[in-house]
Amino acid sequence: MLEPIHVALGSLNIATLAPMLIAIVGALSILIIDLAKGGLHKSLYVMIALLFLLLDLGALVDFGGVFLKNGTILGFFDVMLMDGIAILSQIIIVVGSMLFIPLALTSKRFHEYDYPEYFALFMFMIAGFQFMVATDNLIMIFIGLETASLALYTLIALHNRSKSFEAAVKYFTMGALAAGFYAFGSMILYAISGSVEINQIATIMAEDHYRNIGYVLLSMAFMIAAFGFKLSMVPFHTWTPDVYEGSSAALAGYMSIVPKIAAFVVAMRLFEFLVHSGVAWLQVILYIGVVVTMTASNIWALVQSDVKRMLAYSSISHAGFVMAAILIGTTQSNTGLFLYWALFSFTNLGAFTMLWVNRQKNLIAGQSSDHPYEKFSGMVKTMPMAAVMMGLFMLSLAGIPPFGLFWGKMYLIGSAVSSGYTVLALIMALNSAIAGYYYLKLIVFMFMKEPIVGYDQYYFMNASLSLKTIIGIAAVGTIFAVFAVNPLLKVITLFVYNSGY
Amino acid sequence: MAITLTHYLVLASVLFVIGLIGVMRRKNLLMLFFATEILLNATNIAFAAISHYIGDLSGQMFAFFIIAIAASEVAIGLGLLIVWYKRTGKIDLDQMNSMRG
Repeated sequence: MLEPIHVALGSLNIATLAPMLIAIVGALSILIIDLAKGGLHKSLYVMIALLFLLLDLGALVDFGGVFLKNGTILGFFDVMLMDGIAILSQIIIVVGSMLFIPLALTSKRFHEYDYPEYFALFMFMIAGFQFMVATDNLIMIFIGLETASLALYTLIALHNRSKSFEAAVKYFTMGALAAGFYAFGSMILYAISGSVEINQIATIMAEDHYRNIGYVLLSMAFMIAAFGFKLSMVPFHTWTPDVYEGSSAALAGYMSIVPKIAAFVVAMRLFEFLVHSGVAWLQVILYIGVVVTMTASNIWALVQSDVKRMLAYSSISHAGFVMAAILIGTTQSNTGLFLYWALFSFTNLGAFTMLWVNRQKNLIAGQSSDHPYEKFSGMVKTMPMAAVMMGLFMLSLAGIPPFGLFWGKMYLIGSAVSSGYTVLALIMALNSAIAGYYYLKLIVFMFMKEPIVGYDQYYFMNASLSLKTIIGIAAVGTIFAVFAVNPLLKVITLFVYNSGY
Repeated sequence: MAITLTHYLVLASVLFVIGLIGVMRRKNLLMLFFATEILLNATNIAFAAISHYIGDLSGQMFAFFIIAIAASEVAIGLGLLIVWYKRTGKIDLDQMNSMRG
């Protein structure tokens, strides 16, 4: 007969669940409101989602204060782990989501926003991502990852075009395979260490001096495959352009930011203790992965004829660029990762929102995709302001000073140089130069070419006040990043350093 | 012959490889879902066996969560499959080629 176990409620530290619970309560209240009175306008659900995200952000900022005073907060038998990188990444996740959700208030009617379930699933997805980053328990990471991914597949499919179903099915099959890889990789880690917590696994492995290094490397191969799918590292990137093309532009922009920062944080927790312990094999694999991802996706982006696919390949290249931070693994590079991603989320969401406002209901005659380059030709003559905005986001993505991403790129390349990765820094710089070509190609189309008669009716078809506001916020974030970089860096360094990365 | 942990792990690895080959080779979506189930359940066997041999319960907990996640994954997958079938009348992965480049 087992003795009943008594657990003091205080020792659970339930407060560590607060940010995720707020998102879940938001999702449930959206569902309950729909049950009580159906057929309400989507703006109500957008506002409820925004409200709960704001509360979520407040809770996170509060946790940030507690973290800086008392250090890492543990809860639920050490399953929940609120350290600096968990708090930082959750802030990026929630802010990215807050910038995304007003994009539902389009002037055209879209199928998915008629369902309150869309917003509920969206909030569940955020809770999933938050669970994924705020733990170092392999079980919890798996659950968070899958909660978020399953919600995301549904969100893609709700767009109700045959391309979006195709995208959802492709993403689903890839995601299911990645889940299998993740489960098998963590099984091997469990077999050699008898624990499912990353920090304990690291301690046990260091104690027996990496006796089982062959098995560790095997499990890391599976983990790299699993997170390669989620982070769209080459050669696991094949789904990315198709999925981005098939889903709505707004969701594609969201997918290029929020799921990836969550996966980056988990990759950081998993790989860095091995990189630090001098496991050369993992370093070599990550090195090759980073270089190939950056270079190959840049070359594919050059030959795209559709702006959305070009942006999809460019976001793969940016992910490879940031993955270099995990390879380098110093405090400076990890700080650079968060700085880069914070700046990238503004710029990239702005670029995708520009596609979203120019979204037409049906395909342009004679074109097979929504946003061919020709659609934007001569845009400066018909829509000067929009062309300038799009040009601004493109220049920032290309890393032209003084716009946002330049500072992120500079800091990351600087961290590569200062930890001795000179060749890597050179490759990173060269890739930024190659990437400049395809961003400038769009600028050339917008500013140098003559407008094609009849295409101007496709501009701003989908625009509304809230979409324009989001573009404005993204533009302000991109232009004035130069003033924000220094204080941002101070805060991020404080958080990253104090959580030991 | 006594059955040891190694036997279970070999069984799990063989099943995993069968599932992996299934995911890569199968063009029928339904068969592909079966293959992912085999993939995840192979891991379950290994988790349960390891957990029993080292006397730690967290592996069995992991197995339970994998079962739950596999079930919800199939629920979503079949939902997508049904919509896709209603639209096109096919469940073949090779037919999904409207996007290229």
